[in-house]
Amino acid sequence: MRFLIYRYRPEQDSEPHMQPFELNDVAPGTMLREALIRLKAEQDESLTFRHSCGEGVCGSDGLNINGRNGLGCITPLAELKEPIEVRPLPGLPVVRDLVVDMGEFFRHYKVVKPYLIRKEPEPEVEVLQSPEERDRLDGLYECILCGCCSTACPSFWWNPDKFRGPAALLQAWRFLADSRDQATDERLAELEGPFKLFRCHTIMNCVEVCPKGLNPTRAIGEIRKLMLKRSV
Amino acid sequence: MSETLSGLRAWLLQRLSAVYMALYLVFLPLMVAIVGPQGYSGWHDLFARPVVSVTSAIFAIALLLHIWVGVRDVCLDYLHHPWVRLGVLSLLGTWLLAMGFWVARILINVSV
Repeated sequence: MRFLIYRYRPEQDSEPHMQPFELNDVAPGTMLREALIRLKAEQDESLTFRHSCGEGVCGSDGLNINGRNGLGCITPLAELKEPIEVRPLPGLPVVRDLVVDMGEFFRHYKVVKPYLIRKEPEPEVEVLQSPEERDRLDGLYECILCGCCSTACPSFWWNPDKFRGPAALLQAWRFLADSRDQATDERLAELEGPFKLFRCHTIMNCVEVCPKGLNPTRAIGEIRKLMLKRSV
Repeated sequence: MSETLSGLRAWLLQRLSAVYMALYLVFLPLMVAIVGPQGYSGWHDLFARPVVSVTSAIFAIALLLHIWVGVRDVCLDYLHHPWVRLGVLSLLGTWLLAMGFWVARILINVSV
């Protein structure tokens, strides 16, 4: 099986390049992550990439695979056209080989305050939700912050420092939609302005690539609707 | 950049102007089909009708605002240098204002 893998080692490379690799005896059902681990172990131990759980839960191994963002650990090699081109997630600075600096991505995540904010005093017991209120969080809480969506978004490429990006906005809506949260006005005020939310042009690359099948575009639409409702 | 047109308001304005323009683009051909203007004076009389001149004036305003928001969006996406962006937006604003005055002049001349 043939691979073309993006290599960039800042201490020796002036520019990134694509390095060919070949892997034999690939067992059926092998995922890309396992192939990268084998390439590193058997052929080039300097090959650098992030990975952890190996089952699409931790979100560490977001990669650009044959031009499409996805998780290496749940991408079967059998579904990929050869040579399999593996690049780092686009739009973020490359630290080394397939490892990108996720600092900007997590800065946006932090700014949307991804936690419940209560203004009333903490109750003695937990804050209860009805089953319907809990259902509103389905399709939102499952995000694993792999970054596949934001780094597939042209609006994020164009304004990575200002546009919050689909991942952070999905989380913004996750807490706006939560019946237990009491900071709706502050959250909406934070997102006002031409850049943070309204750079989304519903291109929907985020929906296309999300490995968890989530829909950040719908979440962004819901935030806009809520803003509108609150402003009239 | 105008604060009053920054986020939600600009987004809403673009959608409302689009809806109005879509309705106008149905209304105007209907009026033309009903009235059937012949020659210059026929068209002049058509646009002298208040219902046509007023809806056309609103159409022109909707179109100019729609262009402003749309092109401003493109500038915000692609032009990152503040002075370049300011320069392009100033040129655009001037051009749109000139177009607005031109349309206003035509509609006023037709109506009086």
